Amino acid sequence: MARNESTQQPGSSGSNGISVEQNGSTKPSKITVKVISASLSKAADCYVEVSSDSPTVTTKKTAVKKKTLSPEWKENINVTAIDSSTLTFRVLQKVKLFEDSLIGMGKLKLSTLERTENGELKVPEMSIQLTGKDYTKTDTLLIALAGFIDKKRRSAGSRGESSVSEASTSNGVSSASRRANSGKRDTIAPQANAAAQPVADEQLPDGWEMRFDQYGRKYYVDHTTKSTTWEKPSTQPLPSGWEMRRDPRGRVYYVDHNTRTTTWQRPTADMLEAHEQWQSGRDQAMMQWEQRFLLQQNNFNADDPLGPLPDGWEKRQDPNTGRMYFVNHVNRTTQWEDPRTQGGSDQPLPDGWEMRFTEQGVPFFIDHQSKSTTYNDPRTGKPVGPLGVAGVQMAIEKSFRWKIAQFRYLCLSNSVPNHVKITVSRNNVFEDSFQEIMRKNAVDLRRRLYIQFKGEEGLDYGGVAREWFFLLSHEVLNPMYCLFMYAGNNNYSLQINPASFVNPDHLKYFEYIGRFIAMALFHGKFIYSGFTMPFYKKMLNKKIALKDIEQVDSEIYNSLMWIKENNIDECEMELYFVADFELLGEVKSHELKEGGTNIAVTEANKLEYIELLVEWRFNRGVEQQTKAFFTGFNSVFPLEWMQYFDERELELLLCGMQDVDVDDWQRNTVYRHYAPQSKQVAWFWQWVRSLDQEKRARLLQFVTGTCRVPVGGFAELMGSTGPQLFCIERVGKENWLPRSHTCFNRLDLPPYRSYEQLAEKLNMAIEMTEGFGNE
Amino acid sequence: MSATRRLQKELGDLKSCGVKAYENVDCEESNLLKWTVLLVPDKEPYNKGAFKVGITFPVDYPFKPPKVLFETKIYHPNIDEEGKFCLPIVARENWKPATKTEQVMMALLSLINEPEPSHPIRADVAEEYQKDRKKFLKTAEEFTKKHAEKRPE
Repeated sequence: MARNESTQQPGSSGSNGISVEQNGSTKPSKITVKVISASLSKAADCYVEVSSDSPTVTTKKTAVKKKTLSPEWKENINVTAIDSSTLTFRVLQKVKLFEDSLIGMGKLKLSTLERTENGELKVPEMSIQLTGKDYTKTDTLLIALAGFIDKKRRSAGSRGESSVSEASTSNGVSSASRRANSGKRDTIAPQANAAAQPVADEQLPDGWEMRFDQYGRKYYVDHTTKSTTWEKPSTQPLPSGWEMRRDPRGRVYYVDHNTRTTTWQRPTADMLEAHEQWQSGRDQAMMQWEQRFLLQQNNFNADDPLGPLPDGWEKRQDPNTGRMYFVNHVNRTTQWEDPRTQGGSDQPLPDGWEMRFTEQGVPFFIDHQSKSTTYNDPRTGKPVGPLGVAGVQMAIEKSFRWKIAQFRYLCLSNSVPNHVKITVSRNNVFEDSFQEIMRKNAVDLRRRLYIQFKGEEGLDYGGVAREWFFLLSHEVLNPMYCLFMYAGNNNYSLQINPASFVNPDHLKYFEYIGRFIAMALFHGKFIYSGFTMPFYKKMLNKKIALKDIEQVDSEIYNSLMWIKENNIDECEMELYFVADFELLGEVKSHELKEGGTNIAVTEANKLEYIELLVEWRFNRGVEQQTKAFFTGFNSVFPLEWMQYFDERELELLLCGMQDVDVDDWQRNTVYRHYAPQSKQVAWFWQWVRSLDQEKRARLLQFVTGTCRVPVGGFAELMGSTGPQLFCIERVGKENWLPRSHTCFNRLDLPPYRSYEQLAEKLNMAIEMTEGFGNE
Repeated sequence: MSATRRLQKELGDLKSCGVKAYENVDCEESNLLKWTVLLVPDKEPYNKGAFKVGITFPVDYPFKPPKVLFETKIYHPNIDEEGKFCLPIVARENWKPATKTEQVMMALLSLINEPEPSHPIRADVAEEYQKDRKKFLKTAEEFTKKHAEKRPE
């Protein structure tokens, strides 16, 4: 352990000219950064934050410029820096009441800039490419630099020499030209170049060696710690304030002394940036999330499966928490419990009993101890029957509203009395919640939740719990945990990260998240970010179809579609019933069926092949994680309770809906082979405006793969290859149904003859769920 | 590996295709996913040398296209200083699993022989190609002589 804390850690080696600043080789000096102007793609009230990471972190800001695309500051900012400093430029949008949000960020390594031999730095003008929150690179910042910086020695051999002596040995040769001649210096040239040069790419830190195994696969040996890894060790130093350590089992982990947190994954500039963006978008995300809803409130009573309330009773909603409660006007009392479900049996079900519905919606009871079922309620000895408790026939219909009511009734009937207390601290929500949730008996998580943030007294009437569900579901996404990743770098849906095992305890965490998701459904709370449609299908025990893979991996989808649509017997495909998968440099082979290595794919068996490959593609690398997630979920309540829902409804149930701004949507829609004035386009928007929020959400699911709109509105809609606006394309004939391409956010709308025809076909398309639109 | 047989077949086909312009194929020993092909164009100004091209196949080949990069420097409107170029046949959105490496090499060879100055990756070279063909040919030929590989006998 002690050894690893010394300067031997890979990554901070001095051999390639990058040394840690603590050895005092260079004197800190002042440099002047002139922030000139910026060119932005979106007008905003904005300012620039300039920071230097060493010798100490210093951050300074410019004035705020009012809403403009091309803000001009011409402001001088002094920062303290040394040769190895990186300057970070963050352009931020001033937001009233909330934390300011990031527009774009760029970095500049001082060591990459040319200087005169006496260390003078003079850059009259240079533009910095800014990376936006969604990884777009459209904005730029113009700056100038001036000042003096001592260079430092460039090899381990000269360690300890003062910077002055090096400057004097340079004999008039400028450091820039010397740098150009020195192969070793190339590795600290801007990263883009380093990546493109295969030679520089293979430079390793001191004590590391690259080898090949018997299959010709590259791996790396760390002679210092006598360990091997598939991952290439980084020659980049750790960011400032980070340290590499080993746990007692010899596993490497990283400590961030800035935030006093640890992670299994080596921090890279990209990762820290992703983390920062994830963090900076939180307040906006929370605002959007707070506006979500499931059912519009005004018609709560209209189709309540429990029928009308008894005389003298009224149902009300607490305006602060949104929780429903009941008023008894006869004796002037209020209560949370529904008077219809407590009649005669306000005690919970006896231990080991569970209530469920038959396919026809008739309640029945399971005694898990004797493994028997009965229609008789064990509390009353009488059947609840197809009649509701209030004696009103429960209608069986398949509307979403009806399904929600059934599910809620099931949750209510199987709830456990008293409350369960979960105490977490705000700055450690993820870990604290893990401890709390996992040490409890899973069924107890059905009790009424009583959430408390440490140091914040107050009763939880639902509002605190709501906030906790938001914070924790947002935290799950934290890139530092490596548990989930965005599906095909698009549309904000999550999938399990196949590399999650970099966290050795990942399965325990997936079980925890499974419990958490079940709790959200059971207690009717929304989470921030949802999963991919195929993941919801998996939860509902449905088969993954070819079309579903489009959201997960559009390239595989396109290739499989090609195989499906073309006669492959003439193509010499040389495909067999076997598939490979590479993860962190390791290749895993999988036979799609027994003996698959020697079974060729032909025109006759290709459909079987596609089916097997689709299933494998969805599961590859995440089988254990998925299993752990389901174990956690099922321990709170059985997934069978969700049987009525389809995958799109499950997303709505879990994430809630939001008011969709149709003006914003229409403004940010593009057309192919239609003009904005085309009559089909006009009908389309007329139809969208006629829909209620649930239908609009379903239309969005159909075209974009999720009901959620990006925090910044439709202008920020992402596709599988980057920003991708909602698109309507003229395709097909009037007797076709509309189709969609979720990875391009594209709707194929045939040129229908009338508004009625268009409305009918679109309604059909968004109502159907199974394998639709992939013919 | 699932891609093995397909790649072995393609490698064999390419080696025995009898087309001088791209029959020189090498494959990294024990790594079938990395090939180098020596392209031998027959049109001016590139017929004074040969050009080494590196091909990296993804593990899920042929479901995803190979990555192709020039390892020999070339002065060409459609190929940049790092050896990158745009070729629709290997672009993600156009890729078909039935496309063979031989077809990719043919497409690449025709791009070398017939530059497309209307879709340039190096605007300065494209402009020279269109406005001052003589100068372009001279520069490209000198560049070829200086940087390109020897043509096989």
